[in-house]
Amino acid sequence: MHRTTLTNGLTVIAIENPVADIVAARLFIRAGQCRETAEQAGLFSLLMSVLTKGTQRRSSLEIAEAVESIGASLGADAASDYSILSLKTVSSDFEAMLNLAAEILREPSFPTAELELERRLTLQGLRSMQEQPFAVAFNQLREAMYAEHPYALSSLGTAESIQALSRDDLLAAHQTYFRPDNMIVTVVGRIVPQQAIALVEKALGDWQHPASPLPALTLPALTPKSQRRVTVQDTQQAIIILGYLAGSVKHPDYAALKLLSTYLGNGLSSRLFVELREKQGLAYDVSAFYPTRLSTSQFVAYIGTAPGNSAIALTGLCSELDRLRTGVLTPAELQVAKNKLLGQYALGKQTNGQIAQLLGWYEAIGLGTDFDQRFPADISAVTLETIEAAVQHCFVEPYLSILGPADIVESLY
Amino acid sequence: MNVLEFPAPEFPSPAFPAQVVRLDSGLTVVHQAIEATPVAVADVWVRAGAIAEPAEWPGMAHFLEHMIFKGTERLPPGVFDQEIESRGGLTNAATSHDYAHFYITLEAAALPQTLPYLAELLLHAAIPADEFVRERAVVLEEIRQADDDPNWLGFQALSALTYQQHAYGRSVLGTPAQLNSRSPEEMRCFHQTHYQPENMTVVVTGGISLAETLELVQQSFSHFPPRSDCLPGESAQPPVIKGMQRQVLSLPRLEQGRLLMAWLGPGIDRLSDACGLDLLTVLLCEGRSSRLVRELREERQWVQAISGSFSLQKGCSLLSLTIWLETHQVERVEATVRDRLTELATQPISPAELARCQRLLCNDYAFSTETPGQLAGLYGYYGTIAQSHLAVQYPRFIQAYTPESLQQLAASYLSAERYAAVELRPD
Repeated sequence: MHRTTLTNGLTVIAIENPVADIVAARLFIRAGQCRETAEQAGLFSLLMSVLTKGTQRRSSLEIAEAVESIGASLGADAASDYSILSLKTVSSDFEAMLNLAAEILREPSFPTAELELERRLTLQGLRSMQEQPFAVAFNQLREAMYAEHPYALSSLGTAESIQALSRDDLLAAHQTYFRPDNMIVTVVGRIVPQQAIALVEKALGDWQHPASPLPALTLPALTPKSQRRVTVQDTQQAIIILGYLAGSVKHPDYAALKLLSTYLGNGLSSRLFVELREKQGLAYDVSAFYPTRLSTSQFVAYIGTAPGNSAIALTGLCSELDRLRTGVLTPAELQVAKNKLLGQYALGKQTNGQIAQLLGWYEAIGLGTDFDQRFPADISAVTLETIEAAVQHCFVEPYLSILGPADIVESLY
Repeated sequence: MNVLEFPAPEFPSPAFPAQVVRLDSGLTVVHQAIEATPVAVADVWVRAGAIAEPAEWPGMAHFLEHMIFKGTERLPPGVFDQEIESRGGLTNAATSHDYAHFYITLEAAALPQTLPYLAELLLHAAIPADEFVRERAVVLEEIRQADDDPNWLGFQALSALTYQQHAYGRSVLGTPAQLNSRSPEEMRCFHQTHYQPENMTVVVTGGISLAETLELVQQSFSHFPPRSDCLPGESAQPPVIKGMQRQVLSLPRLEQGRLLMAWLGPGIDRLSDACGLDLLTVLLCEGRSSRLVRELREERQWVQAISGSFSLQKGCSLLSLTIWLETHQVERVEATVRDRLTELATQPISPAELARCQRLLCNDYAFSTETPGQLAGLYGYYGTIAQSHLAVQYPRFIQAYTPESLQQLAASYLSAERYAAVELRPD
């Protein structure tokens, strides 16, 4: 792996993988949902969707044709902690695509007509989300847990905030955050690292960052306080989601919570799957997750079940979480969870795109690429005592979200 | 296997990078060593999808896929999952109309210890009566979850309308009433009929040699279940869409209308035509510069999104469009799509547009053959519906098209009058 910082502060990471004639690149901007105020929720998502739709030199269609005529892919997205342009090309087209990506980042024109189109599509996207029961139940859980914190809302924002965002808001966010000293570029594939770095230098090296420092990231503190939220919908399945506020990626509990979510929710042999699906036939989908976040994360367990079974499913889900508090994990179970997590971590680095994504992301959230080695070491080092401590910190104030037919959710509430 | 005949394009045939070995039992093994990877994948494909189901047994193939994981006389339920996952591996399965397949992905060194477990499950599924009842509840939950998804409901309605009485038109999940009428005995009969060597392809890719693979497969897949002879699957003729087939579904909780349109394509015996329909799908709706996305989403702004899909199947493939839009736009959007199809059938596309679509699909093919798991899936799929080596012919078939041959293809498959359409409307 080659890592370098250009004189303008841009971090470049290049890894050669000659196996396939493919180059994948990721251009990370260290700003995403975590930089949004409630009034501007959805700002980065909207910004990224308009970003690829015009530069000082090219129209939306010309950009699309430049990408699609060579069979490349160019994606733009906003996530909780970063925004990103993703490229995939055959090796010989990489330079052209990288130059296009640089042009998009440096000289977007944010055409008004394109902003209005993407605004309307975002509003429709928000409505479409209401069609998916899990999304509705999860959104209400997230709002309860995060209150004023930017993670409270879907990355699309709200209808009100999307209506209110102006072209000036997009320009201001671009001006503030899209600067070389706030960016990481990762290039992985059939390209010599020195050449990859030289191409990035050529495309982005003369981009000067503003003299002003980046604004400090200040996020509201969260105090866990148990809550229940319900939505009545006449669905075939009731959705029950249980959540706890949980440590960020830099929290001492991080590795232990990753192992606990693996133990509870990862795969066909996971605890929730075996107890609630295999033994009781309560669900098709039952699992747990604990996303890696720069700020306060959440530990979530969920189940979708026949409305008539929702009381027993809720009891089952709660008692599995409660059970952890009594320190029942055996050394063998901990070892299995470690094997699973580490094995799957290795399996998650098979494509050029996966590697470019992972290393760039670590750099973008301030962990550095060596987190790729630190993470497995931290996981291996977890003991039953570390698990116990994480359980006592995390599983205290449960947030509960229930969605289903009226009689069911009312009886549970 | 059937010998299939294809027109010979002018482009040289790429060498098939994998080995195909037919064992004495009749079992097919496909292997490709990939030196740079520490990962190995075993993906077992069985010609036991929903089209193998007797007419009275819809949902059986998929339900059996669930029950395979419920153990054998020697392997209690859950042991297999533990053995794979505690070694850091992944396992799962899927069922469609033409196949069921079961795969494990893990560190290459762990394959010799784990493949025997997968073989044991597949060949000796016990299908215990109590597990049958419990797992049926899980499948009923899967159906409930699908019934809450308007996209799934829309696609099922479209398939039923397009394929009519053909098994491709049925949901692989079956219905609760159909599943409740089945017994463990019937499922064992279905299993013993179809999980036989001549119906199975074991694909192994990644960091393991051919010799080691063959020895391992030979040992693991040696004792097949006693043969049974359950009712045969229906052998319905491929359907023909006569005129326009139309259905309007009003759904509660729908926030956004949909228009779904579908055309029948050829079976795998006309792979060149199928590849051409893939090209036409891309030309119509892949990317902002494609015809329908550009006109309907970007310029006229009549729709929120359009996606096109071409699904290659053994007997009869499907080209479908899904368009997200407000209900009041349906009429003019549908008329525009029909106009564009008429254009395709009457005017050759420009060489530049053809080149764009060809390059996009050939690159997509390269992008989707990057990992051992992707390769195993590709070889297994083609091996199950035809022959594995056809998988790598795909770019050649794509490259062979000319504006004229594509125009001819559009004229023969994509009628502006004969197709199936489903509208989803908010209740």
